[in-house]
This record gives sequence, structure tokens and C-alpha cells, in this order.
Amino acid sequence: MEEDEFIGEKTFQRHCAEFIKHSQQIGDSWEWRPSKDCSDGYMCKIHFQIKNGSVMSHLGASTHGQTCLPMEEAFELPLDDCEVIETAAASEVIKYEYHVLYSCSYQVPVLYFRASFLDGRPLTLKDIWEGVHECYKTRLLQGPWDTITQQEHPILGQPFFVLHPCKTNEFMTPVLKNSQKINKNVNYITSWLSIVGPVVGLNLPLSYAKATSQDERNVD
Amino acid sequence: MTDDKDVLRDVWFGRIPTCFTLCQDEITEREAEPYYLLLPRVSYLTLVTDKVKKHFQKVMRQEDISEIWFEYEGTPLKWHYPIGLLFDLLASSSALPWNITVHFKSFPEKDLLHCPSKDAIEAHFMSCMKEADALKHKSQVINEMQKKDHKQLWMGLQNDRFDQFWAINRKLMEYPAEENGFRYIPFRIYQTTTERPFIQKLFRPVAADGQLHTLGDLLKEVCPSAVDPEAAAVIHLYSQLKHPNHLHPRKLNNSSACSSKHDYKLFGAFLKG
Repeated sequence: MEEDEFIGEKTFQRHCAEFIKHSQQIGDSWEWRPSKDCSDGYMCKIHFQIKNGSVMSHLGASTHGQTCLPMEEAFELPLDDCEVIETAAASEVIKYEYHVLYSCSYQVPVLYFRASFLDGRPLTLKDIWEGVHECYKTRLLQGPWDTITQQEHPILGQPFFVLHPCKTNEFMTPVLKNSQKINKNVNYITSWLSIVGPVVGLNLPLSYAKATSQDERNVD
Repeated sequence: MTDDKDVLRDVWFGRIPTCFTLCQDEITEREAEPYYLLLPRVSYLTLVTDKVKKHFQKVMRQEDISEIWFEYEGTPLKWHYPIGLLFDLLASSSALPWNITVHFKSFPEKDLLHCPSKDAIEAHFMSCMKEADALKHKSQVINEMQKKDHKQLWMGLQNDRFDQFWAINRKLMEYPAEENGFRYIPFRIYQTTTERPFIQKLFRPVAADGQLHTLGDLLKEVCPSAVDPEAAAVIHLYSQLKHPNHLHPRKLNNSSACSSKHDYKLFGAFLKG
């Protein structure tokens, strides 16, 4: 059966598991968290960003089994594990926490996230809107209230920001249809996250896409 | 059809008598009198409490005021839940009026969503309507509507205009003649005892053999502990009930759920989509 932009929950969980397997191979710190009653769960990743005026540098937190490192440890990572950081008087570190959940209403994954400064102060919706990358700003400004808002996390019951799924379906279909022509084994999560993630500051290393292609070549 | 209209009106016009009191910790220039208000069950706290806010702000200095939030017996009240739901979940066994405490400082960031403007409430409301239609009609009906129809739903709620609201909402409650109902029933079962705020699963209105599912069927499948007399879960279910004696969003406690002899035909759900 040809998959369009919708996927069932079991398929979602299977793609997440494959995605996390690759994440572990490259030390990208995604992990699966089951809900308390274990009936479902979500993918989770924490990373830190340094806001330096209008320039954002990335500090990948390589966790090796932990959810996140204290800042001091993160800075001690060997230089090839993180990009060179430019510090300036006005720089601030922001902790981002991304969750990938399944929506049974829309039958697609949904990206939830929250962000706070190291002292625990959360970012406001306005901060988040302002932080959206320039490429996506126009799109956002056409309908910010339809795109990124604060909502209650369906499993944890806490306030998170969410990228509205009804908007993401608009751009998923053409990408998926094309990618399936090229590579039938495309990991849905990889495709979806590589599209929606950058809108909210989450970028996927290229190796995720290469991993999938690699598997396909091995099968042949 | 007249039965249904009465049910719809009773749901829409349901009210909860409420007494708002300013938290003792708030700094005031003089004594703050409590404020009494009849709250609409189907609306949202931050949409209907402008007068409450003005009343208390009159006795406070501007610098002591930041975002308003509400609390009942220590529990911050989630403004994004319908008022009737909050009451049924937290206060229905207490005597009326419902006593709510008002705060203007120390906003509980970990518990409550911010409500920066009416736009936030509208966005949330429309998001709920859209999600419900995704379940009922794969979003086809709501997406085919014009922006002005969406606006009319919101204005109907905001201005307490039953006819204005239902002129549009009735389209969201229709289904093709050849079907026996919606694709899936939009429902949420709220519990106070769990971290997970609500149970929401895919549930078809019609069984494989063509029989209409009942409320009992739904509970048995998605929340079996509800029909267990030992369980302490309190369930709140929004549904438009076909049975003429059952009027408005019901709270079912464990005993009534398992002793209920009535078959509620699961025919529509979620008053607001």
C-alpha cells in the first residue's frame, strides 16, 4: 500500500526506533521515552544553543547515554565534537528540548518543544516567533497563530510549544511522493524532521539520509 | 430533531455560579471585595473574566500586576479547558458557588499556558475545532469553509450567540447519508489522578457488524478502569447525547458508569467540534 503523508501509530514507532538506532551510532542523543502507563511514548532530544546577538552557534550535547550534560562538561568536549563557539558580552545559552509525538487525530508525527535559559527562565511565544529562521519568517508571519503556539503536552500535561500539524501536511506530501520514487525505504521520521525541524532550530546531520540510502544499497 | 435542539441549547446555556476572591498574597491599596459571576460552561476562563480582572486591578498598583491566573484549592486552573470541564473535574462535589482564587503574580510557568491575548484563545479554540474535524471528516468540511465561517464560530462563542455559532457548526455535525456516522468520534476522557491529562484514541461510531457503538462500548474499550467499581477515576466526557433525559456534558463516576442501564447512541461528540 502506497503511503501518503499519513502513517499509523505502529509505523510511526517503527520509524522512530530506526531513527534512534542511527542517532545512537552518531551520538546525536535522541532517545525514546515511554509514557508512565507504557501505552505509548515519544522521541526526545535536548540540545543547547548559544544566542549571540543575531548569530546562533550550535553546541551539540553528545550524551553517551545521559539525557543532557551540565554546561561545564559540554564545554569540555573535544573540539571536533562541537563547533567553535564565539562568545560575546551579550551571549546567552538556551536549552532546547524537542519531543516527537504521534497524533492519532492527524495521523502524523508532531513536533513539540520547550526552551529556557540556563537559570530556568522559559522563553516566551514572542521569543520563539522572533527566533524562527529568516527563511521561514514570511511563512510564519502569514499566520503565526496557526503555526507555532503554546499547547499542553498530551502525555506530560506541561506547557510546550508546538508546530501545528495541519500546516506541516501542506509541505510533506510532495516531498514524500518524490523521495519514495527515489528511495522506497525512506525513513518517514527523517524526511519529516528534516523539513519541520529547521523551522524551530532543529537541524539533522546529513548522515541520517545517507544511512537510509546505505541500507537500501546493501539490500540490493 | 426538537429533542436535539433542546439538548444543544441546554449545553450552550449552562452556567456555573462562581465567586472570585483575590489571593491574600497580592498587594492591594485597599480591601478587595469578592466578585460574583455566572460562568458559561462552554467558554474559557480568560475569555469571560475581563470584568473580574478590572474589578481587582482597581485596588492594585500597576507595578504589582502581571498576567492574571486562577486557582482552585491550590490547583492552577488551565484556562484552555472549557469552564464546565474544570468545574466537573475539580469542584462538582463542593457546594456552590465555585470559589476561585485570583492571582496577578508568580505565574506557574510549569503548569499553565500563557494567555497573552484574545488571539491565543481564538487560536486554541480553532485548533480544537480543526482537530475534531480531522477525526470526523478528515478535515474536509472545516477546510472547505471560508475564513469568515471560522470567524463566525469564534464570534458565536465569544459573544454567547447560539444561533450564530450553530449556523456554522451544524455543517461540522453532518455526515453523508450512506455513512452511519462520522469517521471517528472526537472525545477526550479527563482524569485527575494521572500525569497524562486525557485519554484520546481513535474510535469508530459504528461496529464492524453495523451496530451503532454506545458510550459504554467506548468506555470499555479506551478506559476499562472506568467500569471497575474499585477504580477512583473520575471521567468527564463531552458528548451530544441522543437520549432525551440526559442533558449536558456528563460526569460519570465509577458507580454510575457500571450500573448505567441506558444506551447512549454515540452520535456526535465535542460540543465545540
